[in-house]
Amino acid sequence: MKFEWFVASRYLRSRRKQSFISIISIISIGGVALGVATVILVIAVLDGVEHGLRDRFLSNEAHVALHIFDHSFFKGYQERIERIEAIDNVVAASPVIFAQIGVFREYSNTIQDVIYIKGIDPAQEDKVTGFSTYVTGSTDFQNSELIEKAALIKEGQTITGGIILGGRLATRLGVMKGDVLRLLVKLVESPIDPSLLIPDLANFVVVGFYESEMEAYDNSFGFIHIDTAQKLYNQENHVNFIFVRLTDAELAPQIATKIRDAADFSVLEGMPNTRTWMEAQAALFSALQLEKIATVIIEALIILVASFNIASTLIMTVMEKTKDVGTLRTLGASRGNIMKIFMIQGSVIGTFGTMLGTALGLSICWLLSNNAERPSYWYVLALIVPILLQIFIASQHAMRRRGGWKFAVAVLWLIGISFALYCAVRPISLVDLGLSQIYQMHQLPIKINWLFVIFINLLSFAICWLATLYPAWQAANLKPVEALQHE
Amino acid sequence: MSNPSEALIRIVDLHKSYYDGESELPVLRGIDLEIKTSELLAVVGASGVGKSTLLHIMGTLDRPTTGRVLYGDQDIFTFPDTELARFRNKEIGFVFQFHHLLPEFNALENVAMAALITTPNNKAIYEEAASLLEYVGLAERLSHYPGQLSGGERQRVAIARALINKPKIVLADEPTGNLDRRSSEAVHELLWDLSTKSGQTFVIVTHNSELAEQVDRVVQLVDGKVF
Repeated sequence: MKFEWFVASRYLRSRRKQSFISIISIISIGGVALGVATVILVIAVLDGVEHGLRDRFLSNEAHVALHIFDHSFFKGYQERIERIEAIDNVVAASPVIFAQIGVFREYSNTIQDVIYIKGIDPAQEDKVTGFSTYVTGSTDFQNSELIEKAALIKEGQTITGGIILGGRLATRLGVMKGDVLRLLVKLVESPIDPSLLIPDLANFVVVGFYESEMEAYDNSFGFIHIDTAQKLYNQENHVNFIFVRLTDAELAPQIATKIRDAADFSVLEGMPNTRTWMEAQAALFSALQLEKIATVIIEALIILVASFNIASTLIMTVMEKTKDVGTLRTLGASRGNIMKIFMIQGSVIGTFGTMLGTALGLSICWLLSNNAERPSYWYVLALIVPILLQIFIASQHAMRRRGGWKFAVAVLWLIGISFALYCAVRPISLVDLGLSQIYQMHQLPIKINWLFVIFINLLSFAICWLATLYPAWQAANLKPVEALQHE
Repeated sequence: MSNPSEALIRIVDLHKSYYDGESELPVLRGIDLEIKTSELLAVVGASGVGKSTLLHIMGTLDRPTTGRVLYGDQDIFTFPDTELARFRNKEIGFVFQFHHLLPEFNALENVAMAALITTPNNKAIYEEAASLLEYVGLAERLSHYPGQLSGGERQRVAIARALINKPKIVLADEPTGNLDRRSSEAVHELLWDLSTKSGQTFVIVTHNSELAEQVDRVVQLVDGKVF
């Protein structure tokens, strides 16, 4: 062992004999570890929320939506889709009729709700938004069995077709599978008096439920077949939207321009417009971005606090060891030797603190995303075992010097703390907190960004190392005579 | 015992002043002194007259305001810090009024410390340290920490520590100033024995008249000058 390591390692150790390392080393290592662990954990949660939301959006929502500026219908969509699908990085495109519709309360004249209606070609739509994976029940809009049954109940009325309702919407409307919904599609001129507008109503039978866990869809969307929709609006061979999926969602802004060009709308048809998923969710994602910036600033402060902790610990050690520094200088230790001793001390604290913090942060991330059944919270009390043993050993003079005992107690502490964490740290249920509708997720999502973990490690090492410079320099420049006379 | 041609240290016109803000406080005002190899020299004088300052400057722990300290032909204060530290390590041993042992290290490690700075982890060093501790009568106390030793024992460890690198000169600053009569006598005997056996040079700053009577030469420091 080099001379500097010999002295530094002794200074890190405890002067009392019942524990491995000095309380001051434990506190400094703990400070760094807590800082690093917090940073890793908080960023993992934020990343988790952002990615969770993004994945939700992206799996449900088309990356780019093409439409005429005023949402009017256009024809020739099959050719346009062919041209759009020929663009690089476009996976698929799907024709859609998108409109709002009123839902009538049964046996009354009042509109109960206004919902979005999406007329789709299920096979095409699957390629763009994965539609059928979220449907419970049938995706067969012309399900003859259900339609016939409904027709029997509503004798005399025509059933236009099947509808798939958002799960929450269905709950709110109080309808079940096979029930009939009366929809107000549009107003038409009265055949008796053309100056009067009368409602055009259509009956749909509920054939399935759409459950994507996306509040926006589950709560206000209904899906019908595109052919039915075209008939409802008297727009055979017309649609008002084309939804497009890309190989990479991030490319949306660039590809959107190409899609507009490929669509090739004439002046008479109207002004083409595209809306990317980013634009559709701009408010949410910019809020997340802001939150992240604020967090990174707070995290930087936490690490800074931890580094101040190291610096102050070392300055305290230097003060405490002033006399020893004087002695070492009289024995012929150079300034460089002294500087190294204290820098080793700081670096060891920084290294152990960072490693411990990374381990702690990653463990908590793992525990928060692991749904395994846990022992009761009461088992946290198992921590009493190492605490009692520590007290016992501290009180037994004879055991103080046995290295084996100290090691055993250290291992027991480690096991105890790990077990306590395992019992106590569980996935946080957003449902229980009543936040599942806001975040549209069941539990707090965790996503570890390994690059960021490495970055935080390097940053922590660097800050700890910098924090050692001043105290070490201060120690090295103590005047030997003054240091010796220091009381 | 002493041979005039073998001047180990020559101190030439040494001045040292302390500055307190704007006022200057001269402590040493032109010291000229030659110390010969194997000499046992006592420096006596009233408190605050600068005995310790002189010893610190001789030991390279402090720098003079003006003047030179020559070891052989070398003006030691022209050395850079690292070299000065190395010189101190190899050529000079210190014993202070307070033992100044390192509390985190046991007696054996304290004695070995100076040698470990340059040659870490050397078994021969620990053997040497053990034999030095045996010589000062602490063979049973190798693994005891300073806190577990008595005042006299600590000072004997400090003496053993000063000898580990076989320095040419040992500088002792009131080595028994903090001990009771009996411990003092034991330390004195140890110093006599060493100086006669080892041929090393000893410079001892002391108030103790008994000690001063038994040395080769006594130098009195009055008013910042040597008499």
